[in-house]
Amino acid sequence: MRRIDSIFALVLVLLLLSTSAVFAEVQTRVRIIEASNLGSSIDPSLRDIHDQLGNLFNFTSYRLLRDLNLNLVGNRPVEILVHKGRSVEVTLFGQYLKTVELRIKIRQDGMDVLNTQVRLAHGRTVLIGGPKHGEGVIILAVSGQF
Amino acid sequence: MKDPCSSVSKLLEKYFDQEVTNKERSLVESHLRDCLTCQDELRSMEKLRDWVKAPIEEAAQEEEFPWVWQKIEREIRLQKRLTWWQSLRLWLDVSPLFKKKVWIPAVATAVVLLFITAQSIFKKTPSYPSPSVVEYVESQTYNVMIYESEKAKVTVIWLFEGPEQEAPIS
Repeated sequence: MRRIDSIFALVLVLLLLSTSAVFAEVQTRVRIIEASNLGSSIDPSLRDIHDQLGNLFNFTSYRLLRDLNLNLVGNRPVEILVHKGRSVEVTLFGQYLKTVELRIKIRQDGMDVLNTQVRLAHGRTVLIGGPKHGEGVIILAVSGQF
Repeated sequence: MKDPCSSVSKLLEKYFDQEVTNKERSLVESHLRDCLTCQDELRSMEKLRDWVKAPIEEAAQEEEFPWVWQKIEREIRLQKRLTWWQSLRLWLDVSPLFKKKVWIPAVATAVVLLFITAQSIFKKTPSYPSPSVVEYVESQTYNVMIYESEKAKVTVIWLFEGPEQEAPIS
């Protein structure tokens, strides 16, 4: 009887390990950019998305506020503080061969101002922008690196 | 002096059953030529054998042996057939590979592997052909616009504070 119990315990542990092993760690780059029409400087760190930004928006200046490489694990949210009272929460909730599914929440003063789910492929970028920041706006650039 | 009948009578039964050596046979036969008592004893042995043998042979002759074999075959067929489950149980009981101490961990390992494999197959199969898509978006504070550019490999989610605000997208 004791042996059967120990076998069941072993099976249970293995099952738990297997469920956590289903999600591999995914590296996601999150850049917080301030875009404005004050000046015409573009942060050198934004060279790789400079063309995208220039083609998409009418801003003249792009300044990198934060550059973060997040190691996302399934269903474990990671929170980034953007500015006073404003934060971004990123959660990996789906993982496929060439894409990942992310849940992104923007919070302001403890309230969700944006709640979105995106499917992100390798080499692609999701830009979330609009909330005012100083003289310009905040743009969040999320890129998958897997 | 030793009585020759007593020594031969011990061999007489062996002689009757043809189990004596050549030396013993010549000894018994030379004694039988002169001894009436031993001859009588041998005859009574033969009578006894005939008395037992006759009814057996008579019964065997009366019996039709082909029918006997048919009866045996019919009995074998009539025996209760085992179900596949009983046959499997029997096989598992016989095979040392399927003793509890072997098959319980084996089955547990198989279940775990199956679980992991199934999860990997169902979770990691690229079921979405398109590269990036906004699956869901909700905002109670802002108006939301979504723009996808395949050429620039970028998806834009833009938040407007009010309907009068113009999108900065060129």
